[in-house]
Amino acid sequence: MYPKWLWAVFALPGVVWLILLFLTPFYAVIGVAFGGVDPIFQNPLPAWNPLDWDFTSFLDTLRGFLPGRTYWGIFLRTTEYVAIALSLCLLIGYPVAYYISRHTRRTKSLLLALLILPFWVSYLMRMLAWVNLFAPEGYVNGFLRWSHLVTTPPDWLNGNPVSVILGLVYGYIPYLILPLLASLDRIDKSLLEAARDLGASPFSAFLQVTLPLSKTGILGASVIIALPMFGDYYTPNIVSGSPKTSMLGNQIDIYFHGGPQPSVGAALTLILSAFLGVLMAYYMYTVSKAQRESQA
Amino acid sequence: MKDRDPEAKPATTALRGSLSRRRALKTIGGAGLVASAAPFIVRRAFADSAQPMGPGGIPLARPEHPVTLPMYEDPLKAGMAPETGGDFVVYVYADYIDKGLVNEFCKAHGVNMQLTTYDSQDEAITKQATHAVRPDVVNITPDRLAQGVAGKLIKPINHSYIPNLAANVWDGLQSPFYDVGSQYTVPYTVYKTGIGWRTDKVSEDIAKLDNPWSIFWNAKKYTGYVGVLDDARESLVMAMLYRQFYDINTEDPAEIDKALTDLKALIPICNPKINITEYQTLATKQSWLHQSWSGDLLGAYVNYLPAGDDGSSLRFWSAPKGKGPIQNDCWAVSSSTTKPVLAHMFLNYILDQDVAFNNFAKFTGYQPPQKSMTADALIAKKIVPETLRTAVMGPEDVGAGSLQECTLTSAGQKLWQSAYAKFNSGT
Amino acid sequence: MTEIALKSQPMASRSNLQRVRDWIGNPWGRPRFLVLVTWLYVLSSIVPVIIAIQFSFNSGRSVTAWQGFSLSRWYWSDPVDSVWHDPTLQQALVQSLKLAGLDMLVATPLGVLLALGLARWRGRLSSPANFLMLFPLVTPELVMGVSLYLVILYLFTFIHPSTFAQMLGHVTFSLSYVVVIVRGRLFSIGRQYEEAAADLGATPWESLRLVLLPLLLPAILSSLMIVFAISIDDFVISQWLSCGAQCDTIPIRIYSATRAAPLPSVNALAAIMVYFTIAALGLTYLVYRFMTRHERPAGGATASMMGDIGGM
Repeated sequence: MYPKWLWAVFALPGVVWLILLFLTPFYAVIGVAFGGVDPIFQNPLPAWNPLDWDFTSFLDTLRGFLPGRTYWGIFLRTTEYVAIALSLCLLIGYPVAYYISRHTRRTKSLLLALLILPFWVSYLMRMLAWVNLFAPEGYVNGFLRWSHLVTTPPDWLNGNPVSVILGLVYGYIPYLILPLLASLDRIDKSLLEAARDLGASPFSAFLQVTLPLSKTGILGASVIIALPMFGDYYTPNIVSGSPKTSMLGNQIDIYFHGGPQPSVGAALTLILSAFLGVLMAYYMYTVSKAQRESQA
Repeated sequence: MKDRDPEAKPATTALRGSLSRRRALKTIGGAGLVASAAPFIVRRAFADSAQPMGPGGIPLARPEHPVTLPMYEDPLKAGMAPETGGDFVVYVYADYIDKGLVNEFCKAHGVNMQLTTYDSQDEAITKQATHAVRPDVVNITPDRLAQGVAGKLIKPINHSYIPNLAANVWDGLQSPFYDVGSQYTVPYTVYKTGIGWRTDKVSEDIAKLDNPWSIFWNAKKYTGYVGVLDDARESLVMAMLYRQFYDINTEDPAEIDKALTDLKALIPICNPKINITEYQTLATKQSWLHQSWSGDLLGAYVNYLPAGDDGSSLRFWSAPKGKGPIQNDCWAVSSSTTKPVLAHMFLNYILDQDVAFNNFAKFTGYQPPQKSMTADALIAKKIVPETLRTAVMGPEDVGAGSLQECTLTSAGQKLWQSAYAKFNSGT
Repeated sequence: MTEIALKSQPMASRSNLQRVRDWIGNPWGRPRFLVLVTWLYVLSSIVPVIIAIQFSFNSGRSVTAWQGFSLSRWYWSDPVDSVWHDPTLQQALVQSLKLAGLDMLVATPLGVLLALGLARWRGRLSSPANFLMLFPLVTPELVMGVSLYLVILYLFTFIHPSTFAQMLGHVTFSLSYVVVIVRGRLFSIGRQYEEAAADLGATPWESLRLVLLPLLLPAILSSLMIVFAISIDDFVISQWLSCGAQCDTIPIRIYSATRAAPLPSVNALAAIMVYFTIAALGLTYLVYRFMTRHERPAGGATASMMGDIGGM
């Protein structure tokens, strides 16, 4: 009953917006990364025409990612932090999501509200709270001293990786639990009942029915937090501030804020995006495979 | 300041809060050359073959190679009356000049004050070049003067309107190396880079060490409370000075690499934090030993000490002349001004003794090069404690023989920035 | 969901290991381990925030040592440093609210149209368009910030770093959230009501206006709320497109403060942000509840809202 062109017209403004303000900026990154340098003023001249692209500076930066070179160490460290933080997030987040999706009825609304609350509290606010708590004179050290668990409480914010990883977990876990919860909610309870009817123990019902069915949910939620985590630069800055724990995002930040080499920053951004694109492609492939399998 | 109420604050909030000025200070040494207007043909070039060239054929100034900036037009004629009415646009870093003082000037001359701010010299130059901002006066750093003049962003000045320059400003800055004859600029604040520390936490008497910079490489027991300035030039220069290498404007990759290696060695020793917040953290004991700018110790003393701390454990050391970096920045008359006479008078106003003093003591904490503001005078007025006498600069600190981080060629800038990024990656 | 306590063996003969495994794996029993983990998580994520808010009521200047209760010192009574009197904090608050308001105003209509379009468009280009829409959800904010910064520096040079630029950035990443929420609602509504309206003689325009839009209202409300929250929360994009002190938002202030020596006034500022968000949340929940009162599914309004949001 609606004219066929109506929906395309509805979508048009949004699509144009995204093209202008999402795709084109991306092209600007490419233009700066593959561009040249103004001979008089020595600032980057972006190259818009693909025929003008100059790859020398970009390839230099790319070579820096080879083992042993400039960016290898920090790339490895970033991947390490993200992997560990993601695992911890899943370890804590999955049971929570599982519990809420399956076990409560009366308290479900309350728990849901409590769960959603940190999601709504600004990331920076949560980091501020974290920093205040773990400051040398903060409550955590105060508690440790009072309970005599340790004689000299450690300095949490002096630039050690543990604080940064825990900070990442604390910051990102709400963004994992919500989608995970949503996908766990959608699992058909009757499948579990069927498994139990067929004689499976509760634990093996979980292992063989729930876990496999939640695989796409886990993957999706992981993608939602892991990809942005790769670009995080403010969490190490807030919780640590030491070069020992800096991430790839910090390098990009350095090259852009007041320096003569935004092209290196652009190149690093491109390389990061390409890497994340690979991860994203893997995710999409897995999801479509799972969809095909479930339809077969 | 002895009986100051620890809970009371000076009448301004601007000394703390925005980090924009501190952040911006970082770019003074490390700024790149950014697009500006068309290059300018030099009428009087200084062809010193050892001196690197900047935009428009204007040589890059060094203390040992002073530069007389070319005059592309004649300065304002003397004896004209100041303009009134309309807006008067002052273009400066955020929180870097007392709005109240500017307002007084504007009211006295019947103009409307417009304080426009920028976050970095990069931004300031770009916005002026594209006429996004059309100021009357602008705060500019010496390393940007070649661009400013080549791009005709600033106008030559007539000293007959600015008697305070000769009367109040240090002799050493009357004809600075970056602008011989002060043809375009007057100085605003001076500062030097050194070491700030707390005697209640650091047991060594740093000033008495043979090589004070070595304290950082022996700071293992202060791990987690050590800091290095978040600045590409300052951090690597510290490593160079540690090795007693004084060519801090070098573009030799070998020297820069050596400095980088030394700097990286600091990480396993004391795990330094890299930031420019020492003006707060030294006061609150979050940092015990920090590479600092002199003004930061004064700012810490005046504004950030918590209740119960009288600031007597704050110390500052800097190297003698020629062995440690100093810097100053300037004011200039913008070429887009419609009120040139008033602009000159504003420059004169800033150099007035009382105005400069109030601006410093009540607002910025950055010292102006005023003859009347000696360390003795400041200590007598209780602005600065005796223990921080070393953070106050004197006229003997500037001029020939001083060490300054000056502009580099763009290749040099890249070398320094890449080395700094490597240090930051912690690998 | 019924709670059937199923046991695979009689109580007495279950080994301890079996009991533990039952605790973990039994979806219908009382899982103490899961309860523990969940409540620990909920507490550990909320308590630090509550403590931070607590310190905004500190009577002294410390953010780690409680020095007594003062309701207003950091909110409005301290003549220099309170949020009310400190121009930088005030500015940040105003700027954050301004951006959030602009973001809601622009992103919601744009997103609703986009959601309708993408959900029902059957052309060949609809699939790549859908793809395009999903991208901002997984792009790191740093990449978006950098690319927007470069594009206004080198391509769209008529746009300067300013509130306008920040608004553009905010809307760009908010769009995807609106689309996902509205689309979720769209799917659960289905076409039945519009088809019924058509059968009853409504024109397409009337059907849109009188049937679809009111049905979508709960989702539009959820979107407004979410856009408000993510806009207020945004740090990276606001920082990269900032014009200086005048464009700084609350997260940017908090960021500068946490790296130095913060005063409780920063806690107060952040707390105000939380109050606003909770108010928005509460208000929208109530309105949502009121609006869907005739179609409450099992599980209540929260569940239906979750269903919409969970479309992600």
